[in-house]
Amino acid sequence: MQRFQFYNPCSVEDALNFLAEQGERSKIIAGGTDLIPGLRLEEIRPDFVLNIPEINPFSGIKEIDHSFWIGPTTTFTEMVESNLLSCSFPALVRSAASVGGPQIRNRGTIGGNIANASPAADVLPALLAHGGELELQSKRNGKRIIPLAEAILSPYKTCFRSDEILTGIILKKLEPGTRSAFEKLGRRKAMARARMNLTLLLRLNHREEVSELRIVPGAVMPVAKRMDRTERMLLGKKPEPLLIEAASKTLAEEMVEVTGARWSTEYKIPVLKNIFKRMMKQLLTV
Amino acid sequence: MKKRGIGIGCMYYGMGYGFSRPDVSSAEVEICEDGSVIVRSGEVDYGQGSDTIFCQMVAEELGIRYDTIQLITADTFATPNAGPTSASRLTYVAGNAMVKASRAIKKTLQSVAEEILGERDLLFLDEEIFSESHPERRISFRQLAKEGHFRGLPMVETAWHDITTKDVNPETGQGDAYSTYAYAAQLAEVAVDTETGEVEVLRIVAVADVGKAINPSNVEGQIEGGVAMGLGYALTEEIKEEGGYLKTRNLGEYMIPTSMDVPPIDPHIVEVPVSSGPYGAKGVGEPALIPTAPAILNAIANAIGVRVTELPANLENLHRLIREKERD
Repeated sequence: MQRFQFYNPCSVEDALNFLAEQGERSKIIAGGTDLIPGLRLEEIRPDFVLNIPEINPFSGIKEIDHSFWIGPTTTFTEMVESNLLSCSFPALVRSAASVGGPQIRNRGTIGGNIANASPAADVLPALLAHGGELELQSKRNGKRIIPLAEAILSPYKTCFRSDEILTGIILKKLEPGTRSAFEKLGRRKAMARARMNLTLLLRLNHREEVSELRIVPGAVMPVAKRMDRTERMLLGKKPEPLLIEAASKTLAEEMVEVTGARWSTEYKIPVLKNIFKRMMKQLLTV
Repeated sequence: MKKRGIGIGCMYYGMGYGFSRPDVSSAEVEICEDGSVIVRSGEVDYGQGSDTIFCQMVAEELGIRYDTIQLITADTFATPNAGPTSASRLTYVAGNAMVKASRAIKKTLQSVAEEILGERDLLFLDEEIFSESHPERRISFRQLAKEGHFRGLPMVETAWHDITTKDVNPETGQGDAYSTYAYAAQLAEVAVDTETGEVEVLRIVAVADVGKAINPSNVEGQIEGGVAMGLGYALTEEIKEEGGYLKTRNLGEYMIPTSMDVPPIDPHIVEVPVSSGPYGAKGVGEPALIPTAPAILNAIANAIGVRVTELPANLENLHRLIREKERD
C-alpha cells in the first residue's frame, strides 16, 4: 500500500477548509469500495485521503417539501432498507439492491457511486432517470446545485472542482401514477459488474397515451444518459406493440451512435432491445 | 422468454496417475507410552477432508476415538513422502497406507495383549482390548501401550502403498491403465433466458460411486463443492489472454459462482466396494465436478435446441448461438 496522510475532519467547515488548501492533492473517501482498490493498484496517488463518513449531516434520507434529500454517505443498504425511498423510488432502490454483495452494500455509498463515475455504476442510471440533482459545496463559492446529467463528463471524471464536496443528492417527487422499473444483467447473481442495466420511468394519461417516459441504459455507454430520441418517439402516443418494437430499434441506434461498433455491440444491440421491450410490457401490464 | 431444460452428464475416472506413472503413498503410526497416537503423512489436506478420514481409519483399526489422534501432515522435516494431493488419489492410496501401518502396529499390540490376558480372540473397541469369549478379561488401550513400551517392542510402523499400474500397449493403446475407476452421473435443470443468454441452474442431482463413504457428510461436501466448480466451468469462468499477457488478473474478473449462483444440490452416495481400496473406498474429488458441465450443457440443449461446443456458455456466447439458430 502506498503512503498518504489520512485526515479526519470534525465538521463540514473543517473539511471544506482542508480542501480549499489541499484539494488538488486530496481524495475523498466515503465507503472506500472503489477508492481502496484504486489506491492498491496505484491508479491514484493522493497525498491526503479525507474521510467524510463521520461528518454527521452527510448521511440520511429526508423528505423536504416536494423532494427528497439523500446524504452522500448514505450506504446502499440504508437505501434498500429505507421505507421512504422504497415507496417513492422503487427502481432506484432496486438498483441499490443490485450493487455487489451485502458487504459492498454495507460500505459503498450513493455519493461514492456518483463521484467515482464508473460507466458501470449501478445507481447512476436510476438517479438520472429520476432527474437527480447534486448539491456541491466549497469554501470559495459556497453552495451550488447542478443536474446529475451535467455532472459526469467522461468515464471516472466529474465536473466537481478539487475544493468541492458533494453534500447532497436531491430527487423531486414523481407525479402520481408514474411507473418505474430497473433491471440489471450481470455474469452472476451477486458481486457482478453490470453487463447492462436499464431504468424506465413511464406515466400514461387518461387516454392511455405516454405522457412521460425516461429511458436510461447503464453500462453500455461511456457515460449513462437519457435516450431522448427514443423517448420522443413514444411521447403523446399509445404504446402499441409495433411502436414499442420500432422504439427498441431507435434505442439500439442511439446507443451505437455513442459507442460505435465494438466487439460487444452484436450482443448489446439485440439484448438492449429485448430488455427494453420486456420491461415496457411489464410496466404496461401493471 | 425463459425456457427450461433437463440434462444428464456421466463420467468414469481413473483413480490416481495410471499409465505406469509412479503412484505411491505412505503413513507412519506411532503409539506413545501414554497411549496417545501420532500419525504422520506427507499428504496435504487443502480442504477436502483427508486429515479427518485418515484419523477415522487409524481409529477404526485400533479401536480408539479418532479425535485422540495427533496428525502431522505435509511437513518435509517430519513426514515421509506420499506424493501430491491430486488425481483424486488420497483416500484410495494414502488410505491404504494408513490401514497397513495401523494393522502392523496392531499386531504388536495384539501379541502383548495375548500374553497379558491369556486369550487369542481379542477385540480392539472403545479404547479397550478384550476377549470375545471372556469379555471380563480386558485391558485399556492406554495400559496396553505402556506394556508394549515397557517390553521394549517397536511401537512405530511405517507402511508404503503402491498402486503403480502397467502401461498400456504403446502400439495399440490397449490395456488397463488405472488401478480402479470411479463412476458418477449428474442431472441438471436449467432455465435459459432466450432474450439475454442468461442461464440459471435451478438444481443439480449428483450421484457418485465412492466404493465406500468413509465419512458420508464429507463426501456430500466434496460433491457439493465439485458441482459449484463445475457450474463455474460451464457458465462463467474464463481466462482471457492478449499477446501472451493475461487480461484476467484477479477474482473480480475471473467469475467463480457466488452462493447466490449455486442451486440446491441433491447429493447421492453409491457404495460399490472395490477390493483394492481401504474398506472398499475410492476417491471423489474430481468425479464430483466432471459431470456438471456436460449435464448443464445438455440441459441447455434440451431447453433451447442449441448445442454449446465452447466454454464458458456465458451471456455473449450463448446469445450468439441463439441468434444463429433464429437465422437458420
